[in-house]
Amino acid sequence: MDIIACIKRVPDTSEADFIKIDPAQRDIEKDRLAFKINNWDEYALEAAVQLKEKLGGTLTAITVGPEDWNEVLRRALAMGADNAIRIDRDVSADDAYTVAVILERVIQRLSYDLVLFGAQSEDFGSGQLGAMVAEMLGIPHATLVTVLEAEEGKVHTQRELEAGTLQSYTIELPALLTVHTGINQPRYISLRGIRSAMQKELQVMALDDPGLSPETLVPMVKLEKLELPPKGKEAELIAGAPEEAAERLAKILKDAGIF
Amino acid sequence: MTLTDYKYGDVIHRCFRCGYCKFPINWMDVNNCPAYARFRMETYSCGGRLWLTRAWLEGEIEWSDHLADILYSCTACKNCEVKCPLSFNIDILNMMIAAKGEMVERGEVPSPVKEFLENIQRQGNPYGTSRAKRGEWMEGTGIEAYQGQEFLYYVGCVGSYDTRGQETARILGKVLQKAGVSFGVLGNDENCDGNEVKNLGEETLFEMLAEENVAQFQGLGVQKIVTLSPHSYNTMKNDYPGFNGEFEVSHYTQLLQGLIRDGGLDVSGGYNATVTYHDPCFLGRWNEEYNAPRAVLKSTPGVQLVEMARNKDGALCCGGGGGNFYIDLLGGSADSPARRRVREACETGANVLAVACPNCLTMLEDAVKAEGLEDKLAVKDIAEIVGEACGIK
Amino acid sequence: MSGILVVAEHRNRALANVSYQVLSKGRQLADQAQMELLAVVAGSDVDAYAKELAGWADRVLAVKSDRLEGLLAEPCQKIIAHLIRKIKPKITLMGHSSFAMDMAPSLSVELGIPLATDCIDIFWQNGDILVTRSIYNSKVNATYSFAQSETVLITGRVGEFSVEEGGRQGQIEEIEFDFEEESDYKKFEGYLEAEAGGVDITQAEVLVSVGRGIKDKKNLEMVEELARVLGGVVSCSRPVVDYGWLPSERQVGLSGKTVQPKLYLGLGISGAFQHVVGMKGASIIVAINKDAKAPIFSVANYGIVDDLLKVVPALVNKISELKGKTE
Repeated sequence: MDIIACIKRVPDTSEADFIKIDPAQRDIEKDRLAFKINNWDEYALEAAVQLKEKLGGTLTAITVGPEDWNEVLRRALAMGADNAIRIDRDVSADDAYTVAVILERVIQRLSYDLVLFGAQSEDFGSGQLGAMVAEMLGIPHATLVTVLEAEEGKVHTQRELEAGTLQSYTIELPALLTVHTGINQPRYISLRGIRSAMQKELQVMALDDPGLSPETLVPMVKLEKLELPPKGKEAELIAGAPEEAAERLAKILKDAGIF
Repeated sequence: MTLTDYKYGDVIHRCFRCGYCKFPINWMDVNNCPAYARFRMETYSCGGRLWLTRAWLEGEIEWSDHLADILYSCTACKNCEVKCPLSFNIDILNMMIAAKGEMVERGEVPSPVKEFLENIQRQGNPYGTSRAKRGEWMEGTGIEAYQGQEFLYYVGCVGSYDTRGQETARILGKVLQKAGVSFGVLGNDENCDGNEVKNLGEETLFEMLAEENVAQFQGLGVQKIVTLSPHSYNTMKNDYPGFNGEFEVSHYTQLLQGLIRDGGLDVSGGYNATVTYHDPCFLGRWNEEYNAPRAVLKSTPGVQLVEMARNKDGALCCGGGGGNFYIDLLGGSADSPARRRVREACETGANVLAVACPNCLTMLEDAVKAEGLEDKLAVKDIAEIVGEACGIK
Repeated sequence: MSGILVVAEHRNRALANVSYQVLSKGRQLADQAQMELLAVVAGSDVDAYAKELAGWADRVLAVKSDRLEGLLAEPCQKIIAHLIRKIKPKITLMGHSSFAMDMAPSLSVELGIPLATDCIDIFWQNGDILVTRSIYNSKVNATYSFAQSETVLITGRVGEFSVEEGGRQGQIEEIEFDFEEESDYKKFEGYLEAEAGGVDITQAEVLVSVGRGIKDKKNLEMVEELARVLGGVVSCSRPVVDYGWLPSERQVGLSGKTVQPKLYLGLGISGAFQHVVGMKGASIIVAINKDAKAPIFSVANYGIVDDLLKVVPALVNKISELKGKTE
């Protein structure tokens, strides 16, 4: 089975309580942030590698981004991808639609049975890209997949709905799935693995390789401004060493009749 | 990897599980291997782990979460190596680290270990907190950035990020200021020392950290390093020379010992307490420094030093080594080594349990609370005891 | 004729909460622009839903077909695409549900129209529609405009828009729709409802809920102990289920359960909106988290900024002490 996995690189903002917005309100200041592979994409890659280990075939990882995004492709190569393609582009002004146009152009020239995406990204979280690419390629898709089994020519999937309900589909290949967290336990990628992936070839494509030009890529959704969220209601913070804070909280809970 | 590719494939079978690896100083019990003490099953002792490793590499047993937990419950405390009577004892801990290394390369490590290592890859510390916050501990202390002072004061991850570790890091800084020591710190530019990374089997990541740190220290012209943590001390003293990093490394207790002896630090304010001292593995068994911390305590007026039954090379590890202060595979039980250790400290009649390592400090302080011994026993870093004796609040 | 079209969803014989939310928002936007509000509902038996929707919408388009058993994305995409082409609404609005995540992106490509998903605000500005999205782990708000287009597609974040009384009596129109021949490249096999487990967290008065900050399965022991002294049960956020540390029946949030306990004590939970949606109805919310900027502190009544592994044992002791005094 030939698989394509599309991945991206995101800033780690989970613990960053010092996020600043640049004066033009176009972007956050990224110089103090660390970067990583998008969480959902890591699950998609692991799913792809597991399928490849079981069924054979090839795995190609693709990203659309500037040069430092090679880092996530190296991870993919270390994890078990055979090929890696980066379409060189500053995506900071792109929307999901323009990135989908690029990916569709690249993917349609490759041979594949299954295309995997992460269900959404940690940074913008719009969750649009996979299903857009599927529609452009004219292949069936399912999003938010938490169970995936493959056999010759088809996949059995379950996608996650609200309140713990799952929706089950059998889909003929070629197909596109977006993968949700919890579908597997992504393996650890050692630094040795990443370093040996440095030796592997990484294909860099210019935008005109698949016959695109910047003028044809006009976003349909345009960023007007970024702002820090307005300060809402804040919790009453209980300060002090753990014991003191615990003591005060215990009293509050007792006074509230919890115990 | 098979047994033939395994670096210790020709010796690992020689362990016949005599059980010496579990002994403390003498034959009083068999609970000095922290993981064995916690689980009381042979598989969790060094001998058991060696047999399991061999079975795994020979394909007799499959990898499982449980097998990974057993291997990673080793705290690298070196009790086994010191107590093993056989000639290959110098390698028994390395055998374990190499087995962890194989799990790392296969990507099959317990999830907290994965998180620990990925956090270090990304943020240079096991907590995953931003690098940009590493220097926050020193706010308001007046501690200077390193720029050619005599000493680089290397704080380490626990001292930089853990609340209790930060307090100790600040007090040690103030003590050094008071003694007029010329020193500076790296603040946000400090990176993980790699000691735990090495013991978790992530050899290549360790090498990268060591290379980067050596290059950074050399670039700044560092010659002398004083560390808060024995873990940093150990790897900088013993491993960094292998990366052309020849520095004069001391643990802070060694520096304080000299300062007090030479009159550079006035501790006449004293510290009135009965104190027992817990040897950190990476100062004690790993580097055989049993004297400096005791000398500092003894020269502090008012300190009455009493010894626990297990001390020096027979000390029971707090359970925090090998990354376990974070991955915590030994916690959650009255048999957890830290809880055993604080009960033992209480038995001496001491009202203060002195430590010289931020990992031990957090592990043992948590254990005191879990045991409900807060009224009887306080856990203090030697830096805090000295700080009080020289009038720092 | 332009207006605002709301796509309503239903499952388990009821309209989805999020549909009422976007319907209320749609009503507001329509009133502000003096436009007509339309609602579309599709299914095998939609009469009851259509009546309900008529309380808000000026016109309800009820699409009835046996092919629509199960509210699947593909047939719905065909219907909605057809209606948008025909009606040309200024805005088509849906809840950001798993249904919308499957359908909206491909619908936008099919029609070549702009799409903004998971919006927390939708508003008019000088006659143009703008949206606000919450990005970078809820730490930044981003406002977007749309490229010139007759119609735009917007999905609104679950739980973000309050439900207002409709008070209307709109017309209901039944719509006929001819499906093309069914293809079998994607075969729906059915729904799997969550299995009823041993613990029903929706019935608990006290929930001690753990998130990623618990760090390891072994630390659940102290959390169980805290739940025990409080007379409650342990629930969790999604990552804890993903790691396999607790079964999915314990999960609170969008893809888990919605709970309304007297006390919700969140430990090491950052408070992503998917989680908050499931617990914000609790009477008292307490959060313990190391990250002072974690979004959970803006829904909590009380907060402690510290390591939960340090606070929890202390809390167990203090509560036991206080209980001892009264018993």
